[in-house]
Amino acid sequence: MHDSGDIKIPIGPQHPALKEPESFLVTLHGEKITAFNVKIGYNHRGIEKACEERTYIQDVYLVERVCGICSHSHSTCFVQAVEEIAGIELPARAKYIRTIIAELERIHSHLLWLGVAGHEVGFDTLLMYAWRDREVVMDILALLTGNRVNYGINTIGGVRRDIKTENIQEVLKGMDILEERTKYYIGVAQGESTLIKRLSGVGKLSYEDAVRLGAVGPTARASGIERDVRHDDPYAAYSEVTFKVITDKHCDVYGRTVVRLKELLECYSIIRQLLKKLPEGPVTIKAPRKIPQGEAVSRYEAPRGEDLHYVRSNGTEKPDRVKIRPPTLANIQAVSHMLQDSYLADLPIVIAAIDPCFSCTDRMVALKSQHSRKKDVVLWEKLRLDGIAWHRKQGSDFSALNKKLAKNLER
Amino acid sequence: MTQEEKIKQELSENFPFLKDAIIIKRERRIFLDVAIEQCSEVFDYLVKNMQFNKLSAITGLDEGDSLAVIYHLSRDGATLFNLRTRLSRDNPSINSVTPYFSSADIYERELMDLLGIKVIGLPEGHRYPLADDWPKDDFPLRKDWKSKENTPGHKGLASTRSAQEGQNA
Amino acid sequence: MLKAFFHIFIFPGLLFLFFFGLLAEYLDRKICARLQNRIGPPWFQPFADFLKLLGKQDIVPGEADTTVFKLMPILALTATVTAYLYIPTWGSQAVYSFNGDLIVVLYLLFIPTMTYFLGGWYSRSIYSMVGAVRSLTQLFAYEVPLFLTILASALLANTWSLSEMTHFYAGHPGYWAFNLLGFTIALISLLGKLEKVPFDIPEAETEIVAGTFTEYGGRLLALFRLSMDIEMVVVASLLAAVFLPFGLHLPSWACFIGYLVQVFLIIFLISLLRSIFARLRLDQMINLCWKYFAPLAFLQVLINLILKGVLS
Repeated sequence: MHDSGDIKIPIGPQHPALKEPESFLVTLHGEKITAFNVKIGYNHRGIEKACEERTYIQDVYLVERVCGICSHSHSTCFVQAVEEIAGIELPARAKYIRTIIAELERIHSHLLWLGVAGHEVGFDTLLMYAWRDREVVMDILALLTGNRVNYGINTIGGVRRDIKTENIQEVLKGMDILEERTKYYIGVAQGESTLIKRLSGVGKLSYEDAVRLGAVGPTARASGIERDVRHDDPYAAYSEVTFKVITDKHCDVYGRTVVRLKELLECYSIIRQLLKKLPEGPVTIKAPRKIPQGEAVSRYEAPRGEDLHYVRSNGTEKPDRVKIRPPTLANIQAVSHMLQDSYLADLPIVIAAIDPCFSCTDRMVALKSQHSRKKDVVLWEKLRLDGIAWHRKQGSDFSALNKKLAKNLER
Repeated sequence: MTQEEKIKQELSENFPFLKDAIIIKRERRIFLDVAIEQCSEVFDYLVKNMQFNKLSAITGLDEGDSLAVIYHLSRDGATLFNLRTRLSRDNPSINSVTPYFSSADIYERELMDLLGIKVIGLPEGHRYPLADDWPKDDFPLRKDWKSKENTPGHKGLASTRSAQEGQNA
Repeated sequence: MLKAFFHIFIFPGLLFLFFFGLLAEYLDRKICARLQNRIGPPWFQPFADFLKLLGKQDIVPGEADTTVFKLMPILALTATVTAYLYIPTWGSQAVYSFNGDLIVVLYLLFIPTMTYFLGGWYSRSIYSMVGAVRSLTQLFAYEVPLFLTILASALLANTWSLSEMTHFYAGHPGYWAFNLLGFTIALISLLGKLEKVPFDIPEAETEIVAGTFTEYGGRLLALFRLSMDIEMVVVASLLAAVFLPFGLHLPSWACFIGYLVQVFLIIFLISLLRSIFARLRLDQMINLCWKYFAPLAFLQVLINLILKGVLS
């Protein structure tokens, strides 16, 4: 180990830089990375196999749990494929609602990423700010779907919850707050010198390399590739709204940050357009339990990039094969390339910059709970109040701060 | 003529035997079944002459009598070309496409691990996605796969629980 | 004898520093939290952390050199507490002083960094070793501008004794304004010494877990953390003594209050800086120190030399 002056550092399977168990073996010469070895698969839970043994409706919920952040992406992608095989034409309102949730999810994912990126370069203030603002969109999601993370809003043939007229105002108000905050973050990203120092020129991925390695999502767009499934292969209600495909020529982590931040602004505009045009009508139509024989490939622009599901049916109520290709799997190859000749200090941010989601990548098995079969329905608002009361009992009272924050935001 | 029909026409001109095999499922979705012998040739043409510059995924299937591999190729304008080829169940093997797409590496490892398809020309590396102690000749995505005695985690929670109960008693 | 005992162990020695250091940690954490829009810890949190760590088992890695591993936290604590004795707190006269104690304090403050290096190196953990090398590399970057700015201030005061420097700046309160550039550079360099953002490179948790302290736990970690808290107080006091107008010929207790205000001000500045920056990379940090801070520190020396010529 000491002969050549090279040190081998294991990053993972457990490491504070990684939010999920994956292993990177880094060979260092001084502070420079000379070799990089990825080993993934620690999160493999056999979801694809499990899908074959469940009915389509069960699969919708199973697939939703492939990933904790882009859960709507996976369920929509799966449902789209099934609907295509069954030849179901969705009611317009259902399409709109799906798209609204999809964009809200993108907002929450990008804000989450911004915070994580800040943390990876040691800028914890950004983490705290971004995640505080993320609560706005989390609350909106909870308001519209009843859940903060796994929304459970998709079903085959539509969506399970309608958007109430009185909630639309809430959503629009949230969008205004977030738009103002996002503009502030764009200012921070463009003005804060240590942040720019840490982000620019790091994790270079040229246009040619991005094409060659098949990068997707913001990673590809930051290398100047105009690749966005929402635009190229419109699904749900994306053909009825106008938005820009954000690209950037920086080809580095800084570019990826800018792309994500500017995409946020597009998200707000898309949601406003959709809410304005939201058509009346039913939100779901009856879908057959048995899906006729056939196959379909469905694509979806998840916050991290193109998500691809291949579904093949055999005429029964269970699918024959479900293949999930999450965006991280397409981008992980680019990471090794980006890390060539970079510093150890850049490793966390370069890995984080593709917004990796290894749960997605490895897929999984669902846990069956044996005991908790409680049928209690707890309203979200009650749960929230309970939480606040509990924390107050523990000595942390946020009410004064919240009031102050609300006042600041009104101003 | 739509983009999809153009692709169909160009391919049929170069590979007359494919004429009826190309199916345009819908806008931007083309399916094609080719025999294993012609697979490499068609793949090569698609990538080199028809700008299919992105390998979106490789899907492995167990179709009962045979195994199948689908290459999901895409290009700008989002046309997705699904090239399927069938392999015999007894000795499934296929050429690696890593010379074209280095990103195919991980998808091909999945084929090896989950379906037991041999990929010729794939460089050495870690296995993915199964655990290192997973038996070498056990392919969980095959339809006839059953959890066996030596499958890691086979006994699962049940055995742990009974062991604990034994300790308590 | 009794007086010496009192000075070393009670005031301004160990006991006072223990409380003051933990209070400083609380302030730092609280200010940082409020700047980050968080609630922050209650005032007793650092004490609770310390007590909890004391109650935990000491684990020495099998590969580590046990003696060095266990000795280093104690050495770090000793060095910082000793350095404090030469810095004026009660009145403008330190407990012990002689002409040249400034140099002694600077070298005593060098010891903690050395213990981080040795402790990390002899932990024999990869993360610790990388962290250890990083703290040593960082040392060579920030020491130069730091020493130069302090030298500049000492040149103006024409003494090598901290107490006399305090006397001098108390007598000429306007002079500190000339040292403003030096003060700024010294403050930023000190973030390197204290291993805080943007110079927390040796402990960058997202890269090398906790750097030097990866393998430390229990009482040893408690001592290390205490010594880091005390180090923060000591360097803040040093800055106050060297750069800020101190006593102003007031009674001793008033001097003490003035001293506290100055230390809190410096801690506030440290917290502010650490919450508005991202962590730099090691090469960027070295670049910054050598390319910008060192020449600017030289400039400060030059200014003070000219000033001295003009004024005398």
